[in-house]
Amino acid sequence: MAMIGLEAEEYDRKYSDIALIKRISSYFRPYLRNLVIVVIFLTLYSLTNSLVPVLTRFALNNLAVNQDFVYLLFVLGLILSINLLNWIFNYFRQINSAKMIGGVVLDLRKDATNATLKHDLSFFDKTPTGKIVSRINSDGQDFSQTVELSIELISSIFIIIILIIFMVFINVLLTLAFIISIPLFFMVALSFRKIARKKTLLGQRARANVNSFVKESVSGIQIAKTFRREEKLYKRFNKVNQQSYEVNLKRAWVLNGIFPSLGIVQGVVIALLVYFGGIGVLEGVISGGDLYLFLQSIWLLLFPLFIIASFWPAFQAGLAAAERSFSLIDAEPVVKQNDDIVPGKFEGKIEFKNVTFRYEENKNVLENFSLTIHPGETVAFVGHTGAGKSSIANLIARFYEFQGGNILIDGVDIRDFNLEGYRNQLGFIPQTPFLWGETLENNIKYCCLTATRDEVVDTLDKAGGYDWIEDLSKGLDTFIGERGNLLSMGQRQLVVFARVLLEDPSILILDEATASVDPFTETRIQEAVEEIVEGRTAIIIAHRLWTVRHVDRIIVIDDGKIVEEGTHEKLMDKGGKYAELYNTYFRHQSLEYIEEVKKLE
Amino acid sequence: MSKPISELQKEFSPEEDPYQSARKKGASRWIIAHLFHGTNKLIIVIVIFSTVLSANLASANMVIIGQAISEFLNGNGSNLIYYLIIILLLGLGGPLVRLINFMLREILAQRMERDTRKEFYSSLLGKSQSFHDRQETGELMARATDDVRNLNFLVSPALSLILESFTSLIIPAIYVLLFYPTQLIITPISFSILFLIFLWDYNKRIGPVTRDLRSQYGKMNSVLNEALSGIETIKATAQEKTEALKYYLQAKEYRNFYVERGKVQAKYLPILLYALSVTIGLGHAIFLYTNGLMGIGEIIGYVGLLTQLRFPTNISIFVFGIIRLATAGAERLLELMNQKTEIDENISGISQSIDGEIEFKNVTFIYPGGDKPVLNDISFKIEAGKTAAIVGTTGSGKTTLTKLISRLYDINEGKILIDGIDIKDYSLKSLRSQISYIEQDLFLFSDTIIENITFGRTSSIEDVKRVAKEAQAHDFISNFPDQYETEVGERGVTLSGGEKQRVAIARAFLTDPRILILDDSTSAIDSETEDKIQRAIKNILRNRTTLLITHRLSQIRWADLIIVLKRGKIAAKGTHEELLLTSQEYRKIFVKKFDTQAEKILEKVK
Repeated sequence: MAMIGLEAEEYDRKYSDIALIKRISSYFRPYLRNLVIVVIFLTLYSLTNSLVPVLTRFALNNLAVNQDFVYLLFVLGLILSINLLNWIFNYFRQINSAKMIGGVVLDLRKDATNATLKHDLSFFDKTPTGKIVSRINSDGQDFSQTVELSIELISSIFIIIILIIFMVFINVLLTLAFIISIPLFFMVALSFRKIARKKTLLGQRARANVNSFVKESVSGIQIAKTFRREEKLYKRFNKVNQQSYEVNLKRAWVLNGIFPSLGIVQGVVIALLVYFGGIGVLEGVISGGDLYLFLQSIWLLLFPLFIIASFWPAFQAGLAAAERSFSLIDAEPVVKQNDDIVPGKFEGKIEFKNVTFRYEENKNVLENFSLTIHPGETVAFVGHTGAGKSSIANLIARFYEFQGGNILIDGVDIRDFNLEGYRNQLGFIPQTPFLWGETLENNIKYCCLTATRDEVVDTLDKAGGYDWIEDLSKGLDTFIGERGNLLSMGQRQLVVFARVLLEDPSILILDEATASVDPFTETRIQEAVEEIVEGRTAIIIAHRLWTVRHVDRIIVIDDGKIVEEGTHEKLMDKGGKYAELYNTYFRHQSLEYIEEVKKLE
Repeated sequence: MSKPISELQKEFSPEEDPYQSARKKGASRWIIAHLFHGTNKLIIVIVIFSTVLSANLASANMVIIGQAISEFLNGNGSNLIYYLIIILLLGLGGPLVRLINFMLREILAQRMERDTRKEFYSSLLGKSQSFHDRQETGELMARATDDVRNLNFLVSPALSLILESFTSLIIPAIYVLLFYPTQLIITPISFSILFLIFLWDYNKRIGPVTRDLRSQYGKMNSVLNEALSGIETIKATAQEKTEALKYYLQAKEYRNFYVERGKVQAKYLPILLYALSVTIGLGHAIFLYTNGLMGIGEIIGYVGLLTQLRFPTNISIFVFGIIRLATAGAERLLELMNQKTEIDENISGISQSIDGEIEFKNVTFIYPGGDKPVLNDISFKIEAGKTAAIVGTTGSGKTTLTKLISRLYDINEGKILIDGIDIKDYSLKSLRSQISYIEQDLFLFSDTIIENITFGRTSSIEDVKRVAKEAQAHDFISNFPDQYETEVGERGVTLSGGEKQRVAIARAFLTDPRILILDDSTSAIDSETEDKIQRAIKNILRNRTTLLITHRLSQIRWADLIIVLKRGKIAAKGTHEELLLTSQEYRKIFVKKFDTQAEKILEKVK
């Protein structure tokens, strides 16, 4: 079933319905006890529910014939206790189904999260964060609602079946008429569904339009104010707002039509029932109690039928939610290890042997790429955006799988390591510093929880100085906000440096931040970089050339190939690609250059 | 210093504002004001009338069915056809009246959403910049989407269902009184009383659990969101297990609340009450039958009336949740809308064109609601037409300082003078029209490029092209298929940071302000773009007073005056040469150990 507007994503698999049901059932297995209780109480609940009108019929029939007081009191007492039992059955049913559904959804969420975190970065490139979150959280929600609905449905079907059985015993013809009316309810309900879905989609789109308009206005409010643009914005807002009003009003009208329409069907069926039942009564075939049972059944029917009619799409949605969760769980990570070697400290020799790598089919980023980095060496990669610098770092960090050749660390195939152990020996500083919404200290201790406060202070001191911490309101205990947004970009970088320094990795990868930092902090960052590359193999993906002038080796990458390598002086003398890059790209930050220009003016 | 509130003007106000006084009187008064606004009153009258009518039709149907059965049981079939028609008409009429009712109440509901959103939006436009700085976009969006939508749900279904519930508690009772022995009223009345008590009690218990559940869902979302945005870091540090556990703990807590809520829901007493009431009512009717006061048909009719109580029983569970959400939302909306806008426009103030000399005299500024001064005793003077660079670490107050000049905020102490006149004496509109900003966080509206450059003013395409060329933007704009008519932003092409910056510079060229504030602390891009941007900036600096917030040493070097800010205070100011001598911190950023040449320069300067 194709869902309009919901494109299937790449890692979606198609499960057959049976496979899906089987898989879902496996999640219920740990809660078998709850499930059994739910089923038992559900059956009892449905039974007691349908018994009430049946018993009432007995009372009414007895009333018409001989008015046996004892019998009447007995039946009434029975109805009372059945009502009480009914409520108690339902109570246990609900509690157990809450436990069961809560548990199943928890397990599903756990599996989905674990699977997600195991994926390599190619998966996260393809799948936006919002989508994953909604798969794990809201799909779980949808799924649980479907299960709740399914339980309702089963009980509704039970009730209808039990009532029909009684009715057949009383009067076959009227029962047949009753059964024939059921598809009528369905037809009405289903005919609404199609229009409703279309209108709902339109309504959502219109609302999304308004929302994005408001969002844009709020984000651009300062510009709007300084340029006095409010009037125009307001007029445009009124237009989209009015449009959303009109579309959503139509949608609401369609959706609201369903209950009255079902009511009309019900009204007709009741009128006919009274008419034909009346004839039966007049002929003496049907008693007043019988008629009561039939009428009650019709009244009882409306709600369950509505559930059934609206059930199918909701059920499909629930299955789809489950399928999405399963496909998330079952998608294989691309990065796979062949062996399980847990490495100790590395010497730090890195070899690329004829490596071929691509993010997308047919677009090789690296082709037959070979390179040796010596233990303890600091190497900087330089080149235009898209030249392949970051890819080299990503492969060493094992964030992506490469397609050809070999990468060896200290002579061991990178695929033979235990991934966790390997990454423990690796320090990675990403381009955009990422921090947790926690205290500053916990952020630094992220991977080394046992570190003492002194160690943390010491590390920070090495990574660009400790004094800026003292300016924070609570020092190391300062809560640094969501993603560290209470700190400046430069400060965030310093924190990440400290984190890596504390981790003390054998191999360091530094993807220089592109975000601009004020000159004061920039100076600190330079000092920190010099500190952290000390005594380990370091790879710097240089975007700014600040640091590269005194690294052991600069490697210029262009189009996935090494075009030049050597020290800063050597390459500048050569006057090739590097000199060109240096002269255009980075001169705005060089005092020499500035002074030269000043002279010329 | 500031004028009384009555004289304060809104920065922006739409045509009319009928809800102004209601906003001050709290959420329910405000909701009522919206509900009964204009033609809504008539619709409400019809809605109430049709609700009562449809309850009447349903109850009448029960009574007549009972009557019909009674007649049939007595062997009287003469009115069979007559009953068929009546019951059919009542059976059709009820739903039809309901349909009309539903359609009308939807109009009320959708209007509520439309009008409150409109009110909120215009209120946002009217707020001062300081208000917007305090608010997070996500927060405001939640108000404009969820809260406003919940107000829609408040009208339909919540309030309509309450109305329907009340009528289906009362109308059947009236029919019992009219058509059946008076004492039968005991059951529906005692049901109603107990029902309301139980409902109140249930509501009290379900409220906190539901709130907990919802907020736990939020926590679950944010933990997962955070982990996914930090996935690179998690992988690099091999902390997948820790993060999985962190999420699991939140999800488990959610499960616990879910089970907790299930327990409260399972104990919903009104359902039991309803079932018992119907049975007791039946027993009561049977008792009256044995005394010859009722017939079988009447019993069926009476029990039929009692079954109408099922509606309020089943429906009330979820009505209260909606009401709670909606009133909480309304309160949040009002809280935002009722905040004052702090700036006085001074419409009658000076509106002459300015030269552009800027002077700060002992300026101290505290953000509204803050306690520490962001800027402390700031004094400096920029001559007309000169360029000043402001440098300092993030949080040192650079951006705030520039915002004070166009009175996006008013200062607490000291004076800001332009051409020797206090900025408060200028008309705000005139003042702002002569000051332009090119921001760090460049923002373009989802519109065509030309619209983003002209921004509503009528300029010839030649003029636009001219400024685009000066801003080094013409080339890339010409490369788009639709050129200046290219849509940018959400529905159109995405411009890079450097391209956006040049569009903004073009816009500033067109405005030709006397004072320009340029926040150029964006990141370095590729060489060619970098060169172009620098050229564009050099062009725009000419002939106007400029305040530059910059990280680029080249720009700092070119400035006539350099102001070094540190924690809200001026740490140093002067020309480049002066600062190299006087400020150690300044020297540190310029003199790198690998900058061999710099040492020499420094020697020379000394």
